[in-house]
Amino acid sequence: MKRTKSLLLSLLLLLLLLVSGCSDSATAQNENNSDNINPPTITSELTLDDDGKNASEKYQNVANAQEEQGSITDSAEQKQPSELSQNTFSLADVPAYNGKAYVAINNNEPFFSQADYTTQSFERYSSLDSLGRCGVAFANVGKDIMPTEDRGDISSVTPSGWKNKNYGDLIDGGYLYNRCHLLGFQLTGENANEKNLITGTRYLNIEGMLPFENMVADYIKETDNHVLYRVTPIFEGSNLLASGVLMEGHSVEDEGEGISFCVYCYNVQPNIILDYATGESYAEGASEEAKDETSSNTNQPVAAAPTPESTPTPEPEPTTPAGTPVETPTQTADYILNTNTHKFHYPDCSSVKSMKESNKEYFTGSREEIINRGYDPCGRCNP
Amino acid sequence: MILIVCLDERGGMMFNNRRQSRDKAVIERIAEIVQSSKLWLNSYSQSLFDQSAISLEVDDNFLQKAGQGEYCFAENISPVDLAEQIEKIYIFRWNRHYPADFCFNLNLAAYKLIAQSEFAGNSHEKITLEVYEK
Repeated sequence: MKRTKSLLLSLLLLLLLLVSGCSDSATAQNENNSDNINPPTITSELTLDDDGKNASEKYQNVANAQEEQGSITDSAEQKQPSELSQNTFSLADVPAYNGKAYVAINNNEPFFSQADYTTQSFERYSSLDSLGRCGVAFANVGKDIMPTEDRGDISSVTPSGWKNKNYGDLIDGGYLYNRCHLLGFQLTGENANEKNLITGTRYLNIEGMLPFENMVADYIKETDNHVLYRVTPIFEGSNLLASGVLMEGHSVEDEGEGISFCVYCYNVQPNIILDYATGESYAEGASEEAKDETSSNTNQPVAAAPTPESTPTPEPEPTTPAGTPVETPTQTADYILNTNTHKFHYPDCSSVKSMKESNKEYFTGSREEIINRGYDPCGRCNP
Repeated sequence: MILIVCLDERGGMMFNNRRQSRDKAVIERIAEIVQSSKLWLNSYSQSLFDQSAISLEVDDNFLQKAGQGEYCFAENISPVDLAEQIEKIYIFRWNRHYPADFCFNLNLAAYKLIAQSEFAGNSHEKITLEVYEK
């Protein structure tokens, strides 16, 4: 009887401890969630999913390969990364855009927790939220998950806020928006993954994010080390267009000696006013009528920025809302241009398969535009 | 002194106290340039040459100490104050854009481009080597 009593007491104590522990942990979690992204974003509400087939397959393949090689030596290496639970980033701390595409946050120290570090590659993407917006994308980038094939077509994805316009000479390449990879293609090889593509200005893509992707990719190729890498799109309220992205990177094996950064990249476009609520836009100095067509959640006009130097795929929207400074072509389609032969093709043309990637230019626009650029239609697919 | 530097396409050298990029092929090229001479550099750059047979002279004030005709590899230090002593410059251009908060600020107008060549790197599709002389 005495023994039963003692057992019951022990069980009661254990139960109390467990309840108390859960309660503390839940409180901590809630605190983290409320503190993390202040004022805006939905990112703290998101949970990371393995990317449908690609990411989970890759993750599994990598894990299997490493197990076979005997490289997984510590069970701690297999645990899942934390998401933004350690993150204390606040959009309120970000200075207004002043002509530089990115700004250091937290003294350039990423917000990763010690538990995030692993020598096992992984990539994880958030499910879209109820507004169709992307959330945090997180990876431990190693050579084993970097792409081995050329980039494919991503035009099938329509990210939130995708209201593209052609601004002609105001923007290199003409079109305002790119489908911006959160985890750059050169890092994880994701093509048309809707969980990894946001609507970003060409300026965000080329001046803000690409330099960091380049730096990380080169480092991994040269050292065969891993880089813990996280990109968080920052949406204010129910805006469909991200205000910017938080990019964090830290090299694992050398403990940040090679790579370490924490920056915020602005989703702005010099000379263009953006309505972050909808993705609509108009040129600075556009008529009042044009401005009235767009709602009021706009960015501040910005100073002139350097001209982007490279040419990612422009991806137009065929509609032409009022205030568009350049008339958008009425009939657009995706084409592949061969910059060597100066022929253009439909993407599914058999000639495209044998085309060298270095000769390919992905183009979305009208047939007339391409012909005006001196290209001839392919005789096989007759675009 | 003969200066050797690596720059991105906008003259960037470092970001957050770290080099923007690296390439094994560049180290090999530097070995070909330096040959049996010694290469001055500071402690930050030393590890880049761990696998190289180049004879290194490591000193955090190497720019001040290097003599005429001696090779200096600079990553995180500005050579501007010693511009008068720089006879020749080898610039390896990555032909890519990286983040930068420390850039090359030596005015090349005082130098003449005497040679230019391109080669494929280990992780860079095309690296351009430019050689300038006073």
